[in-house]
Amino acid sequence: MDEQVLQTVIIGLSNGLIYALVALGYTLVYGILQLINFAHGEVFMLGSMIALTLLMALGVTPGMDIVTTIVLIVVVLLITMTISAILNVSIERVAYRPLRNAPKLAPLISAIGMSFILQNVGLLWKGPTSLGFLDIIPNTNVLTTIFGLDTVVAVSYKQLFVAAVTIPLLIVLSWFVSKTRQGKAMRATAQDPDTAGLMGIDVNRTIAITFVIAGALAGAAGLVQILYNNTTVWSLGFRFGLNAFTSAVLGGIGNLQGAVLGGIVLGLINAFSDRYLAAQWTNAIVFGVLIAVLVFRPSGLLGQQAADRA
Amino acid sequence: MTVGGTDAQAAAPLTGQVPEDQLLVRARAVTKRFGGLVAVNSVDFDIPRGSIVSLIGPNGAGKTTFFNMITGAYAPTSGDISFDGRAIVTTKGSRVRSLKPHQVTALGIGRTFQNIRLFGTMSALDNVLVGQHAHLRCRWWDAVLRTPRNNAEEAASAARAHELLEFVGLGQRPHAWARNLPYGDQRRLEIARALATSPKLLLLDEPTAGMNASETRDLTEFIRRLRSELGLAVLLIEHDMRVVMGISDRVTVLDHGEVLAEGSPAEVRANPRVIEAYLGRGAAGEA
Amino acid sequence: MNTLTTPVQVGHTGGLRAWLRQMASAARGWPATYRMALERRRGRTVLLTLLIVLLVAYPVLYQTVLAPVVRILPLPSATVMVFMLIFAIMAIGLNIVIGFAGLLDLGYVAFYALGAYTTAFLTSPHWGGVSVVLFASVPEGSPGIHLPFMLVVILAAGVAATFGVLLGAPTLRLRGDYLAIVTLGFGEIVPIFFKNLVNVTFSFGPIQLVNANLTGGPLGINPIDPPSFFGFKFGVISGFNAVYLGLILIIVAIVIARNLERSRMGRAWMAVREDEIAAEMMGVNTVRTKLLAFGLGAAFAGIAGAYQASYQGATTSDFFQFSTSILVVVMIILGGIGNIWGVIAGAVVVQYVDKTLLPWAGQRLTDIGNVTGNPALGDINPSTFSFLLFGIALVAMMRFRPEGFVPSRQRAAEMHTAPPGQALGSIGLIEKEGLVPQLDPTEPGGEADPGSAEMSVEGPAGETKAEHRVDVTDEEMPR
Repeated sequence: MDEQVLQTVIIGLSNGLIYALVALGYTLVYGILQLINFAHGEVFMLGSMIALTLLMALGVTPGMDIVTTIVLIVVVLLITMTISAILNVSIERVAYRPLRNAPKLAPLISAIGMSFILQNVGLLWKGPTSLGFLDIIPNTNVLTTIFGLDTVVAVSYKQLFVAAVTIPLLIVLSWFVSKTRQGKAMRATAQDPDTAGLMGIDVNRTIAITFVIAGALAGAAGLVQILYNNTTVWSLGFRFGLNAFTSAVLGGIGNLQGAVLGGIVLGLINAFSDRYLAAQWTNAIVFGVLIAVLVFRPSGLLGQQAADRA
Repeated sequence: MTVGGTDAQAAAPLTGQVPEDQLLVRARAVTKRFGGLVAVNSVDFDIPRGSIVSLIGPNGAGKTTFFNMITGAYAPTSGDISFDGRAIVTTKGSRVRSLKPHQVTALGIGRTFQNIRLFGTMSALDNVLVGQHAHLRCRWWDAVLRTPRNNAEEAASAARAHELLEFVGLGQRPHAWARNLPYGDQRRLEIARALATSPKLLLLDEPTAGMNASETRDLTEFIRRLRSELGLAVLLIEHDMRVVMGISDRVTVLDHGEVLAEGSPAEVRANPRVIEAYLGRGAAGEA
Repeated sequence: MNTLTTPVQVGHTGGLRAWLRQMASAARGWPATYRMALERRRGRTVLLTLLIVLLVAYPVLYQTVLAPVVRILPLPSATVMVFMLIFAIMAIGLNIVIGFAGLLDLGYVAFYALGAYTTAFLTSPHWGGVSVVLFASVPEGSPGIHLPFMLVVILAAGVAATFGVLLGAPTLRLRGDYLAIVTLGFGEIVPIFFKNLVNVTFSFGPIQLVNANLTGGPLGINPIDPPSFFGFKFGVISGFNAVYLGLILIIVAIVIARNLERSRMGRAWMAVREDEIAAEMMGVNTVRTKLLAFGLGAAFAGIAGAYQASYQGATTSDFFQFSTSILVVVMIILGGIGNIWGVIAGAVVVQYVDKTLLPWAGQRLTDIGNVTGNPALGDINPSTFSFLLFGIALVAMMRFRPEGFVPSRQRAAEMHTAPPGQALGSIGLIEKEGLVPQLDPTEPGGEADPGSAEMSVEGPAGETKAEHRVDVTDEEMPR
């Protein structure tokens, strides 16, 4: 394969995995509440700011020894995930739970309101300008330095790091939803909240746990964003959130595997559009894909678990 | 209530026995499958003009599905349905063409819903005016410019709506929100709204559901008036056998999507297969 | 045989001449109509009259009597008033889409942009290769296309409506929240096109473009002719002339929206919003009805865009952001969804807070900081918080007052005609109005019998309910 194409695929895959983490949050919440959680992108944005603050507070700098770096990153990851989870579940409590029985438009508008509130929290906290962060993880090419391959195709440590964080999280999530008691409760509630309630499932608790998981994933994505793309800004959540939401729709909203697949496909679309078309058209292409999917195949690539409820 | 001996039951024209020109609805070999489930299986069904015909059967027999195919809400899997000489559903080979519900309504079929579906936050009057929608001719620019045509049509349709409300006995509170009317009034408002569609045939889906005995009696009398005063044909789905037996010219019994029996109320009551399949022990003893 | 169920027939009641006659007699009868309104609804009529007098007089007062105090008091300037009017026109239009027809449009800004760019194309030197000057305020022979504003407003409305219909046709059958996303995407795509269609090289049959600057790119189109009306220029910036033009436009907008609301179309929109399936069954062509709401709603944004572009004398794609779409949604939610006066009030208040009150508060903070020797106060810029405020407002309104501050007239009327206890004891208007067009009858309780909730009369027997789940009337609408 053409080396340039291969390189674009690698870039697309790593960005796609970050999209997937955030897309899962959209899909989990949509699956259980049929709500487009507009504020989810903002949780990701705040997650990246939390991660940035923690990394700086703990004095993580390039050139520290590997073990310390890894330990500190894991600590930051866990704290960021925890805070983001708490944030997300608080959003649910304040903005969505009181509207559980209202018509669907009400929580949607509430979510849009929440999204603006959180954007402004980010703006007040970190100011209007873009924040950068240093390369903690080296950008050097693994293929040439470790494997000694003679190639211009680059897979950096940063990209390996993206995979090292996201793939285990995806596996854990998949195990949680399919194998644990709480995961079964989630699936049951997604199918039919009333019946699930009658069967003794605590619906409020299950929904709260869904928001906890979604928030934690967004927090993890926030950290990955800071360490991989090295930047964050208060308005990051809106664009990134729309991309992630598009991923969820592309894969079939409500479908967990679909969200991951959609994230990867969207990452690839982004990368190829940036590389071969023009970066200023990428957003138009993403939204074009979103509209086309919704119009021609609203159930997405993998169909939709909640389709029958539509 | 006397059993099977009401005025309208001298003759009970069966499906296939009525001359074409006296037919309002003519359904032939209508089939509807939902996935693997055959909800309606090759049903023939006629409704003569000006008749009151009932469709009964146990739960899941396919009554409402059949109803929905006449109104265009479901396209059948196969079959033909015509109304007043015009095709609602035609099957050519494997191609099934069905009119859309609003087109069927415009042809002259009005309906009510099993669980009331009024426009809750619109006034009773506006509900009835919506029923006239398909027959009003003014376009949006007429409304924007308040053309004389628009004003004349609005005035005439409002007058007609008041008449209809009067006819169903709701003339007192035309501006009350539909959802704030008492239950029985909501049922009557639904009928007024259906009448506003200028129907030749009125489909009533369990009109007495949730009514007490005296309300049911009033409604039964009212359905008779629909025929005698307005000349409408009525297709009734009803669980209350007193209502069905009291006013129907003909009763068709569906079971598992097929026609089990057809005839005058008295014949149907006496049919052993019907008793077995539908009416059950109590009715069998009564008969 | 009774005539009760034969359709109402109204023949041709004369064409244009009859209409003109009717309009003339309405104009002649105006004093009598006003006297009647004064008798019947005294408070309301007096209030409205005062409002109109105030609006007409305000620009004059602002420049004369109020001139000494405009720097001290948070009084809206001409520019702010123009933006109040622009957004009020958009709020009226979006209210048709969301409030009347119940379709959530989150990309309304796209139609605003289309209106503005249509105006920019047709009243500016942008197309330097041609010279078309028609009743415009520029000299004959000037480069570019210069059409009269009144014609351009209509064209802008038409272009916006056309795109509304083109977008709506494939998407309006989508469920409510999917429609919201599709429109959001459209709202993002349109400005991207305006921003990027510069240096276009394109060849298709006879059309040959080499590095063509179609939209002015990131710089936008500048200058745009000020609005003129047969030679009378409205658009002198900083003057209040443009406010009067806006007042004319908004009166037209209000009349159109009111006339539509109280028509066959308005009733069909509300019926579709309340219960789409029942509406279809009652003979309403729901697809066409929704499309009409979408297209007409878009036309209002087109008018607002035309007014904005010619007032500002320039247009750039950066002006048309998602936040603008949301701002209009905030206005109609705050004001009272479904009520024209409510949404106008929402637009005026939101623009006032955003463009006058918050900057004024910032000024006062700076003043206080300077006086008290605490200049740090001047660094706080309350304007930055506007969207924080609007976000809080959205969340709070949904929770505590979903019907808005000026609720729809339907509700007010109901308060008077319903027997005591019924209307007042009922739930919030948002729920009543059933804003979500798509019903979900498979969801238990989602589609409850309207009677059983409030009236506590015996509902349908359990038996019939059981059948309903097998044989549902409305499980899905084919096609």
